[in-house]
Amino acid sequence: MSQKMDRPKHVGARIQRFEDTRFLSGTARYIDDIRPPNVLHLSFVRAQVAHGKILDIDTSGLEFLDFPVQFFTGADIGDLSIKAHQDFPEMQYSEQPLLARERVRFVGEPVVAVLADDSYQAEDAAEMVFVDYEPLPAVATMAQARDPEVPGLFDGWKTNVFIERQMKGGDIAKARAEAAHVFTRTYSTQRQAGVPMEGRGVVAEYNPSDRMLTVWSSTQIPHLLRTYLSEELGWPESRLRVIAPDVGGGFGVKGQVFVEEVLVPWLALKTGRPVKWIEDRREHLTASIHARDHQHTLEAYVSADGRLLGLKADISVDVGAYSTFPFTAAGDPGMAAKVMPGPYDFQHYEATFRALASNKCPIGTYRGVGRPSAVFAQERLMDDIAKELGLDPIEFRLKNIIREFPYKNALGFTYDPGSYAETLEKIQELVAQDRAAALASRGDPNKRIGVGLACFVEQTAHGTPDFTRRRVPIETGYIAARVEMTPDGQAIVEVGLQNHGQGHETVFAQVAADALGIAPQHVHVRHGDTLTTPYSVGTWGSRGGALGGGAVHMAAGKLADKLKAIAGHLLQADAKTIVLKDGLAHPEGEPGRHVAVAKLARAALRNVGELPQGMEPGLEAQVSLDGPADGTYANAVHAAVVEIDIHSGKLELKRFVVAEDCGTILNPLVVDGQVRGGVVQGIGSALFEHFIYDEDCQPLTTTFADYLMPLAPEIPDIELHHFETPTPLTPLGAKGLGEGGAIGPAAAIANAVADALQVEVQSTPLNANAVWRLSAHARGDLHDG
Amino acid sequence: MNVTLTVNGTQRTITVESRRLLADVLRQEFNLSGVHIGCAHGACGCCTVHVDGAPKLSCLTFAGQCDGKSISTVEVLGGVEAEHPLQAAFRSEHGLQCGYCTPGFVMTLAPFVDDRVAEGRMPDDLEIREAMSGNICRCTGYHGIVAAVRKAIGDRLAKGTQA
Repeated sequence: MSQKMDRPKHVGARIQRFEDTRFLSGTARYIDDIRPPNVLHLSFVRAQVAHGKILDIDTSGLEFLDFPVQFFTGADIGDLSIKAHQDFPEMQYSEQPLLARERVRFVGEPVVAVLADDSYQAEDAAEMVFVDYEPLPAVATMAQARDPEVPGLFDGWKTNVFIERQMKGGDIAKARAEAAHVFTRTYSTQRQAGVPMEGRGVVAEYNPSDRMLTVWSSTQIPHLLRTYLSEELGWPESRLRVIAPDVGGGFGVKGQVFVEEVLVPWLALKTGRPVKWIEDRREHLTASIHARDHQHTLEAYVSADGRLLGLKADISVDVGAYSTFPFTAAGDPGMAAKVMPGPYDFQHYEATFRALASNKCPIGTYRGVGRPSAVFAQERLMDDIAKELGLDPIEFRLKNIIREFPYKNALGFTYDPGSYAETLEKIQELVAQDRAAALASRGDPNKRIGVGLACFVEQTAHGTPDFTRRRVPIETGYIAARVEMTPDGQAIVEVGLQNHGQGHETVFAQVAADALGIAPQHVHVRHGDTLTTPYSVGTWGSRGGALGGGAVHMAAGKLADKLKAIAGHLLQADAKTIVLKDGLAHPEGEPGRHVAVAKLARAALRNVGELPQGMEPGLEAQVSLDGPADGTYANAVHAAVVEIDIHSGKLELKRFVVAEDCGTILNPLVVDGQVRGGVVQGIGSALFEHFIYDEDCQPLTTTFADYLMPLAPEIPDIELHHFETPTPLTPLGAKGLGEGGAIGPAAAIANAVADALQVEVQSTPLNANAVWRLSAHARGDLHDG
Repeated sequence: MNVTLTVNGTQRTITVESRRLLADVLRQEFNLSGVHIGCAHGACGCCTVHVDGAPKLSCLTFAGQCDGKSISTVEVLGGVEAEHPLQAAFRSEHGLQCGYCTPGFVMTLAPFVDDRVAEGRMPDDLEIREAMSGNICRCTGYHGIVAAVRKAIGDRLAKGTQA
């Protein structure tokens, strides 16, 4: 695809992150540190019933306050809304108004916006507003959502199904006919979320002197937000600037456009003053976005000799009250349907997938998007099949794993080369002793040991055709980078990404430094500001390293070519022989005959009389890099070892091992951190995290005392083993990496529990209650507690 | 009410409402952006500062409760270059990603490191993990933070042995 680098020197090196110092010293600037003078603080009155008609909004209490207050309701905002529609005839239309109009559809939905000079006062004022509702029956379950007798949540809806579609490849009837064994199982994964430690927040300010509307938001997608604002507010995009300052974690949560992000700039225009909204934790847990909440029924067709012939999937996701922008209500079920074929060799597949509406918080993207649930179902099924056929679960996988590349799967997606069998064999070797210990524990009266695996491929950095097929209101997935050299020979890299922990400021400096022959410390990477960075889709879909890194490499390569041409001219040498290294340019093999890169930069920008005849002054280049049509496929195997006290249900995670392959490793420090961090979020999915609603759709998990995330003592050291199969599909050979860690743990841990207790595990979370119930058989107590 | 606080070594008397949280007062009155609010209900540890030398959650403390007390925040620990040995260890061991929880972890763990060094012993991993069990990190999976604590203690113990 492009020239490989001459001599990678910094790419692949374990370099400490340049961005760390500001985070460690307290000098980083997050959204709450944006404090324009004369700012109005926004507080919301949010829906307290899950489904209801708004009868009255009583704001008379605000008159008794001894400070100035302004308020706005759904009646004030016209038809401004979040529109996240897919252009399929099967999709029922819906919008989320910025403030509820007439009807509320989930607890936490914004109803009234209250503004005051101080954040404490704004909260006081919001408490003085009373909203009277006529409660309506809540749609609380998947069965209710599919019941045609239950009234639609939106006018004109027939049932509460946002969309139901199919995907298929091969001939599923043929697979069924040829099968010696048919296995049908249902698996479900609970409602949870990414929960970054910094919540959301938005600040907006209009400056009449240059007619610029500036919006700061804790977002992963500044350019997408800018375009949405321009279209929804009817504001020229050239006069809009979106800045994502330091962002305190995203994990996909901050990869949507939210009602608050549109409302705050609208309020700034309306009031003529800067407006600021900082989300509190209760708002975040009830009204940002949730994730997962899948139920999959799989039917597998298996030959007499243990080969998978085909798979049929029925996938339902409770996506909550509204379709989210830009990936829509169909994002999660569609992704699960697409990735279900996984790393196994079979050519007949059929999936029906649907997004079901309910009176719960909307579902959006969270690390893995659909894949953790799909891999949970698929990998639980592999173990259940192996057990019923009396096969070793690893041997059964090895028999079916894809070994020849490129491989075209049943849906027609082409997998680029990976190390599927190698990672699996590595894990087989690493957990051999644990498996022996598990077997030996089978008769133990107190404790049982189990070993479980999850084997998966992950489509990453997918390009434009993947989005076209989905007809989502995001049409592409490219990342752009601009590289500029300053006259002192240092470089500025501007990427259309947002760095919220992924190490962009270091990794892209490494990439540019290799191309330009300068030190990574002399490369300043900027991101997150639409005024200074080229238009791109932002940080999501595991494309930062593969596409962002690739774009930086290509743009820096263009700059390097110009530097070499100038050097050739100044040194009276052939430009093709020039090498850029350690801040110097010299002909290959003649390091003594050199000129400083800084001198070349100075020539390009200031002493332009030294340039070759006819060469244009200036030293910058920009490249936009789209992803490969089908993406590039990373792969991994996760293994968990658990020890279970069958009397209490206490589960101890004794060991967690990962063998993964994300292609070329750009910085091992960052890769290790991304994988481990993802794995621990996945452990949270497997064991703890659960958003619970009652039958009226009242949320019961609204604080960190109820929504339990992994803490340090519960987590073992995560052991990592890297395989490196560079992809020919991206310039540096890198595949996506950020999400993979979170994809496997639920499946691996559930398989370990199934192994320890010799039962089928159908759902997560595997908290102490669930594990205690699953231990009944092991206790010899068949009464279900 | 009037409250006299010594913040990062400088004494100042301010007038605040009795309901104002220490976290908000440090952020707004003292411009200390290193104090982060993660949950405002005492469950995540992001807002940890030292009150008279001991780690305390500034989101569960009213500024009014701190009259006459000495408060330090992450800003004073190692300066703008974050040169405290524990901060350096966070850098070398990749103990942070998005950085939002980081000041809280550093302020929780700095006295833990000091105490272990004073005792002259290296704690085991579980003890280190227990020491940070009041802080939530959503990015790192804790691995790099545990390694940073081990390194910070190990380096200082090694230095002590030489001296």
